[in-house]
Amino acid sequence: MVETPRQVVVLLASFAVMAGLPAIAAAAGRPDFVTLGSQVCIMAIAAAGLDLLMGRTGLPSFGQAAWFGLGGYTVAILAAHAGDGSLPGWVTGAWFAWPAAILVPAVLALGIGALCLRTTGISFIMITLAFAQMFFFLFVALKAYGGDDGLSMRRRNALPFIGPRDDVGFYYVCLAALVLVLLVLRRVWRSRLGVVLDGIRQNERRMLAIGLNPFPYKLAAFVLAASLGGLAGALHVNLFRFASPDLLHWTQSGELMVMVVLGGLGSLWGAVFGAAALVLLHVFLAQWTEHWMIVLGPILVAVVLLARRGVWGALGGR
Amino acid sequence: MSGLLEVRGLSKRFGGLVATDALDLAVGAGEVHALIGPNGAGKTTVIGQLAGELRPDGGSIWLDGADITRLAPPARVRAGLTRSFQVTQVLMAASALANVALVEQVRQGHSFRFWRPASGDARLEAPARVMLARVGLEARAATPAEDLSHGERRQLELAMALATRPRLLLLDEPMAGLGAAESAAMTALLAGLKGEVAILLVEHDMDAVFALADRVTVLLDGRAIASGPPAAIRADPAVRDAYLGTP
Repeated sequence: MVETPRQVVVLLASFAVMAGLPAIAAAAGRPDFVTLGSQVCIMAIAAAGLDLLMGRTGLPSFGQAAWFGLGGYTVAILAAHAGDGSLPGWVTGAWFAWPAAILVPAVLALGIGALCLRTTGISFIMITLAFAQMFFFLFVALKAYGGDDGLSMRRRNALPFIGPRDDVGFYYVCLAALVLVLLVLRRVWRSRLGVVLDGIRQNERRMLAIGLNPFPYKLAAFVLAASLGGLAGALHVNLFRFASPDLLHWTQSGELMVMVVLGGLGSLWGAVFGAAALVLLHVFLAQWTEHWMIVLGPILVAVVLLARRGVWGALGGR
Repeated sequence: MSGLLEVRGLSKRFGGLVATDALDLAVGAGEVHALIGPNGAGKTTVIGQLAGELRPDGGSIWLDGADITRLAPPARVRAGLTRSFQVTQVLMAASALANVALVEQVRQGHSFRFWRPASGDARLEAPARVMLARVGLEARAATPAEDLSHGERRQLELAMALATRPRLLLLDEPMAGLGAAESAAMTALLAGLKGEVAILLVEHDMDAVFALADRVTVLLDGRAIASGPPAAIRADPAVRDAYLGTP
């Protein structure tokens, strides 16, 4: 993965826009742009994690929303318990709640991934979907945490220097998290681990024949993707101060897959552009018509047919 | 128990078809042993069982005195038994050098390292270049495998197998699809490995077989109908009848 000069220019320009977004929003009198920017960063984190699993390792998980929802519910549930005094107040500090929102999905993904990775192909897609649906119905049934009404969070997790109502500050936290995740993933992509994951995607039989047992590497990718899904879910629930089973709905898993494919499978940066495209299309098309999917569908078909390597590959100009 | 590889009573059945029928086979250290026979004789099934991709229904496989019958394919590679494929299995998107460097990385066993870039790592690329030079591909190191010619990919396939530093190589039709000149070059390449690594060679190119093999086993319907030095096999009337034909 080496970016072409054109791609580097696009990356720098995009980053400049993202860094200046609150100023642009203020000048345009549209504070909602800041929320939109946070949403893009959050979905991009989840999509980048999924791209490691789906694009780099070749494992199309159709259950990524489970980790997104579990991360989100982790912070919401901690906040609910802190609110009624059954847990100490410090559990709502971001320093505790966010790592917890990464660890809970990671630990569950370790076990569930070990089971799912016994299958390949269509079976893998179906079993990851099945586990995600299991968690979806668990939260629908869990009346103690709101059931299908969801669970509100009175205030965001406490962060140093940033107030609970500071939307701009929170946006910069999301942006910083995204940049950090991308810089780390870019190293992973090109590392020995990344090369092995790519080898597993291209030709698993060959990897066995050179003496590599692919299972632990696939599991590592599965757990990493789940961890990033959890982080994104925690940020999402912080942004809207609300968690509901919708976070775990299978359509959410599908949207994450669409983001990765739209951006360009296995390209990492593509996941960010795919996430941005889908979030923005969703919001702006939904202002026109509630049947926004009718417009999104053809766009997706066109990208898949005309730009095989996605938006990012088309930007590369090769 | 003298050989590097000992196969005893190996049997494999696919439904009603007996693919491998109580096969005994021995390959000594440094020996080139050719396994020949008509299409459908069960040669590739034998390779599959030796490499661990197929589970035999009966019999046992011993490598250097250790029973490897139940070992998974990666564990067999670590024990010193590596296969190559009849249909080239290389990573098409990666360069020739990256393909071999990946084998070197797996052999060294540090594949969970996730921070430093793998490409440009001299600990991987230096030995990989030596391996590419060995098969005559050093000039094509930077070329993606998908842009290599068929013959070059066969060379790369061999370089990848060699990079695991095997004691026994299972070569499944290394000459498959090669022209006469390329076949001769591959035969010379394999001849250069003689004495250094033992080879079980499955091949239809009889010129190559008789030029390389120390011993030849003839397979027919999953059974060994003859086994011995090349000259004896060539003269064996049963073998002529079943496979070689009358000159």
